[in-house]
Amino acid sequence: MASLASILLSAAIGWLLVYRFAGLAALRPRWAAWLLIFGAGAALGIAIASCLFFLLLLLFPGVAHLALWVRLALLIAAGYVCFRGYRPGPPPAPAARYPYVPLLWIALAAALCFVTLGMSAAWEANPHGDWDAWSIWNLRAKFLAAGDGLASRAWSADMPETHLEYPLLLSGFIASCWADAGGASPAAPIATAYVFLLALLAMVAGGVAVLRGPVGGLLAGLCLTGVPTLLHEVPSQYADIPLACFLAGAVLAALLDRPALAGALAGCAAWTKDEGILFVLVLAAAMALVKRPRLARFCVGAAPAAALVLVFKLAMARAPHTLMSGVPGGLAHRLVDLSRYRTAAWAMLREIFTWNVGWYHPLLPVAILLIALRTHRRGLRDALFSAGVGLAVLLGYFGIYVVTPNDLQWQLQTSLTRLFIQVWPIGLIAAFLAMRMPQPVPAAAPAPVNPKPRRKGRS
Amino acid sequence: MPRKADNEPERPRLLAAGAVLLAAALSLWGAIQYRDIETTYQRQSPDPYRLADQDARFEALLAAVPAGAILGYLTDLAPDDNLGYAMFLAAQYNLAPRQLHKGTAGELVLGNFTRPGDFAAVGRQHGLRMERDFGNGVVLFRREAHP
Repeated sequence: MASLASILLSAAIGWLLVYRFAGLAALRPRWAAWLLIFGAGAALGIAIASCLFFLLLLLFPGVAHLALWVRLALLIAAGYVCFRGYRPGPPPAPAARYPYVPLLWIALAAALCFVTLGMSAAWEANPHGDWDAWSIWNLRAKFLAAGDGLASRAWSADMPETHLEYPLLLSGFIASCWADAGGASPAAPIATAYVFLLALLAMVAGGVAVLRGPVGGLLAGLCLTGVPTLLHEVPSQYADIPLACFLAGAVLAALLDRPALAGALAGCAAWTKDEGILFVLVLAAAMALVKRPRLARFCVGAAPAAALVLVFKLAMARAPHTLMSGVPGGLAHRLVDLSRYRTAAWAMLREIFTWNVGWYHPLLPVAILLIALRTHRRGLRDALFSAGVGLAVLLGYFGIYVVTPNDLQWQLQTSLTRLFIQVWPIGLIAAFLAMRMPQPVPAAAPAPVNPKPRRKGRS
Repeated sequence: MPRKADNEPERPRLLAAGAVLLAAALSLWGAIQYRDIETTYQRQSPDPYRLADQDARFEALLAAVPAGAILGYLTDLAPDDNLGYAMFLAAQYNLAPRQLHKGTAGELVLGNFTRPGDFAAVGRQHGLRMERDFGNGVVLFRREAHP
């Protein structure tokens, strides 16, 4: 119970900060804005708690519960800032009613109930999660939570099995919950994984609803609850769902013209998994190409978490990456070995067609919508941005497969599905942005966070 | 010629409604399928690495060894054996923040055995004295003091 209270505390900090500073509350429809605040706030709150816990552990290793007190102070400060900054806006215009929306809400709630029922079976039978959860993420959380100078075991070169070079967002957050609660209850990683799923769902549904209208948003959320392969990763307690959440959130924030929030979420992705580092670079490049005036604010948002990743990688976990160790010696040989390209490409092309359950495939509802409703040129630019980022990330993964010194077949078998899960929500967002909607879509681009006042003397 | 409004839905209403409802129903079906698959899978292979059993096996050892200890690791399974590797990592997870090192170096060594046997004799082969047998194949060895 104490672990759950700790998670709630962290999420509440994120909700308040995102509400006050991200400018999402101005978006319409209002419920979509609240979904975005819920999703981005929960994910950022968890990331803030993780970073705080890790930094305070390094700076003040002997002070018990310091991270908890700092978070409580932060909650009070964020609450005060929200209270002071609250300006009641004009009464909302009566929302347009669409015939499908109530039905889609009911279907989404029902789908979430079925999903949660399935997960509860996994939580009961396998509370410690799957292999990587207890042998890497939660094991490192135990080291971090121990304090007393034992935290450095989470990145100790003496324990190569724990992948000392992996970033510490998930482990750090679970450790903070365990340190707050005074015990390593499995409830903390279970609830953390579930909160990340809810945050992912909320951001995808809310973001698409703002960009393409409520029917599109609810359908996007529904399509995400209909992906058994993705959902199975939630009770596994791996870092791929949190990463998928940050990736989708960052892309949506960039599309919603919230570059600082996009940067912050992308930075958190880099502190979650190494794949997130590739994502930050890809999204920064995409911003430079398509949204250059927003690039500086994106970088400012990404800087804190990116700096933490750099310090961790360069100064603390300095052993060679387990995926790349030994690469330089055989790199040339692997690069000219065409069979590796064929093997990796074929596996990646085939992967998505293995996600079916009997006759049902999660692409089926999306394909039906695309065929029946067709695409629309208005959303095409955003769709291309989203799809381009997803494809560039997949291309990066392909390059890693080509050069990895590990057995390629083993590497593909153990990781490819999870890599596709990370980018699946981005692909889904792209599909819904490209789709023509059966109801009028928002007429204007999302409102800017802080509209610049006109300078005097200029027209 | 006036430009057609962007917001104007151009697909026949019946087709659009059918597609939306069919997509929603299919996604809901996917969620139901997930519940069925996950429930069946978990019923068939609950706790495949027996982590809950390890909790009970190592409970007494946890109380006997300080949290900061670094322990060697001795087992009757081959080091590269899949089961042996899983047992090592499961022991490491259960005993954390205590740290395990494969091999019998160090002052304290954890014996993690799958079969009953003369553990004291196994320890002696490695210059170890059996400090305590916790049962269920869990043994704590201490390096024998040299005269």
